[in-house]
Amino acid sequence: MSDLSPNPAQPSRASFLRRYLFSTDHKVIGRQYFFLSLAAALSGAWLSLLMRLHLAWPNLAVPFLGEIKPENYLGYLTIHGTVMVFFVLSTVPQNGFGTYFLPLQLGANEMAFPRLNLVAFWTTLTSFLVLMSVFFVPGGASIAGWTQYAPLSVLASAGPGQALGTDLWLVSIGLFCLASVMSASSFIATTVKKRVAGMTWMRMPLTCWAWFITAILILLAFSILLVALVMLMSDRHAGTNFFVPGGLVVNGQPVQRGGGSPLLWQHLFWFFGHPEVYIAILPAMGITSHLLSNFARKPVFGYKAMVGATIAIGSIGFMVWGHHMFVSGMDPHVGFAFSALTTAIAVPSSIKVFNWLGTIYGGRIRFTTPMLFSVGFVSLFIAGGLTGPLLAQPALDEYLHDTYFVVGHFHLIMAMAGLFAVFAATHFWFPKMFGRLMNERLGRVHFWITFLGAYAIFIPMHLLGIAGHPRRYSELTGVQYVAVMAPWQRIITYAAIVTLAGQIIFLANLFWSMAKGPRAEANPWESTTLEWTLPSPTPEDGFGTSMPTVVRGAYEYGGKSDGEAGSDYRMQNSP
Amino acid sequence: MPVARDHVEIERKPPSKPKTGGGGPGKIPHPRDFGGGDDGEPDRDENSSERSERLLIYRVLMVVCIVAVAVVFIVLTVAYLYRRSVLHFDEDKGEELHLWRPLVLPYLLLWINSLVLLASSGTLELARRQMTKQSEFASMGIVPPAGRRELSWLTATFGLGLGFLGGQALVWNTLRHRGLFLHANASSSFFYAFTALHAAHLVGGLVALAWLIFRSWRPRRRDFRQVALQATGWYWHFMGILWLAIFALLHFTRK
Repeated sequence: MSDLSPNPAQPSRASFLRRYLFSTDHKVIGRQYFFLSLAAALSGAWLSLLMRLHLAWPNLAVPFLGEIKPENYLGYLTIHGTVMVFFVLSTVPQNGFGTYFLPLQLGANEMAFPRLNLVAFWTTLTSFLVLMSVFFVPGGASIAGWTQYAPLSVLASAGPGQALGTDLWLVSIGLFCLASVMSASSFIATTVKKRVAGMTWMRMPLTCWAWFITAILILLAFSILLVALVMLMSDRHAGTNFFVPGGLVVNGQPVQRGGGSPLLWQHLFWFFGHPEVYIAILPAMGITSHLLSNFARKPVFGYKAMVGATIAIGSIGFMVWGHHMFVSGMDPHVGFAFSALTTAIAVPSSIKVFNWLGTIYGGRIRFTTPMLFSVGFVSLFIAGGLTGPLLAQPALDEYLHDTYFVVGHFHLIMAMAGLFAVFAATHFWFPKMFGRLMNERLGRVHFWITFLGAYAIFIPMHLLGIAGHPRRYSELTGVQYVAVMAPWQRIITYAAIVTLAGQIIFLANLFWSMAKGPRAEANPWESTTLEWTLPSPTPEDGFGTSMPTVVRGAYEYGGKSDGEAGSDYRMQNSP
Repeated sequence: MPVARDHVEIERKPPSKPKTGGGGPGKIPHPRDFGGGDDGEPDRDENSSERSERLLIYRVLMVVCIVAVAVVFIVLTVAYLYRRSVLHFDEDKGEELHLWRPLVLPYLLLWINSLVLLASSGTLELARRQMTKQSEFASMGIVPPAGRRELSWLTATFGLGLGFLGGQALVWNTLRHRGLFLHANASSSFFYAFTALHAAHLVGGLVALAWLIFRSWRPRRRDFRQVALQATGWYWHFMGILWLAIFALLHFTRK
């Protein structure tokens, strides 16, 4: 029972497998998640590049792949969405950085259930491999998108990827649900029970708050998705009809089953799917709050309001799923309720934005790379968030729902903002994770390319959407009013190519710094939280036997005379 | 910092019985199972109160598990009620039809099963009390009476749990003979979904009980077993309540 012993890490006796592959050490698992997500992000980015190339030049033959057929395009769409939402945005901010830094920031040497985390990581990896295997099976990937709307997802005859491809998708995401719930249980127990002496709830860094609330969301949302997946699987293979309506005709053949409701799938899926958005963005918000305070050398503006807003976003997030279904023929009264609740979620979000601006206002800002990315997060969050209340109006959504407007909206607020927080966190915690510093100059170049690229890709998409360009289609060259927008599609593709090329700078910086970067001291950013009391990289046994005692909040920056000699901050454990 | 205690206070009662000795592990001569804070783990240097504090984490995990399982069934309930109310437009008749075909439940069997499951909750509670009592004796350095009565209560719970599963299998068999399979119609689909998911979760509880029974023969780490029994108890009682909720739902929506 190694998870009962206070200090299980015994480096000298552990074998290579135990230390680096099947380790229960949260620091190893956190880094494993980080690299898994990196691989997933690269796969997803590659798929998006293929899609962009196809949209700009529909007849282009891609080397090794040949011409992209419509079903290939839809397969890329499905896997791009699935990989990015599940294996990048729900994995690295929460399980990557969270598994590594939640115990350290709370003053613990390990997660509450290290072996649960170990199993969760390996289940996630299996799930990722199962998902990626769809490209190598007959029929290829599912064409139903990451939302897998029924009845397209139920009937194997409905499309080339709807047989084995969809089964593999379901198995993969089912495994992912299990892994997420396991990991979230460990997060919750760690936060509730493993805080060191003096670490009261209101002294926790906002990152820990975000990870905790997100873990609760994961626990609830992924349990729901699992039920829906089991029902879909049983519709596909056990002959039930939860989601299959009567009177279907597929490829000219009438389908001899029915009685189910495809809307039931949409309700179940979005009851998971909307909280999922906050699962992706809440840890990013926590990281941003943490970093803005650190680099503006000011306490977080309105700490309690931030905590309250996090909880409010988490709970209202469960009541707004209907806004994904305005076009499904919803009762206007129901639509109004969902619209009002969705607009209401702008309130805690605005509180957060206000507090971020309040935090940096008047601060002695240090524009390091992590700070740039955090400010970039706020910018993208505002730009992408402002279109949220627009889409929350059923009348407007009827028009915009199936256009590129929605694509632009969620990519800016969820994908790009989430990614910027990940970049910020990578630069910020790199010294603690790998013992070296990342290159600042490369980091800045990477930031500006990505920042301008994000806007160059997704702002034109909003305009295309307003002009009525439908999304999801692989090719619309024959449609007259869409054809005039073809130059814009090419501009977006050019921007995407440049932005993706810019990511090579990040990869080079990451791997070069891991091997050759300047060695980091214990607290290179002059931060206050407990992980910076340890040497860099974090020793294998964490705090060892000398557990810290917390005596103050997490954001005591800006003091003049009462700080440690000549410094403007006080560590959480400094008396 | 409280005085180092020589027993484990899982129940968090105010100490009502006189304590013997205030020292660390091994002060009172005792068999391996009882007494000091280091039950069979001589290489640990933490004191028992820290240890028992740390063990409480398993109860947090159990609360988390129960919440997750509850969400699964809440969602299934919502889907069930939604599906039940869906109307279908019939093009031939030109009107909306309610196609829900209710299920006639084998009530006698279901009632017997419910009683069996409730009884198993009772026996598990008796096992828990037995173990708490023994640890109180142990805290006074008294070797408790021979025979582990909690073991027999645990075995009874396990047997009743198996009995419930067997009873559910009989229910399924009854429906099978009436031609009501998983895919027969929506109401039977949901009936099998509810009962099979509940049975699957109950099997998890049975595994935990089997582990507890197994550990009773290897009497080490009493405090750990005690927390495990407590957490298993919460889960098991939750399974009972969940079953009653499902039964009530199916009963009140039987038309």
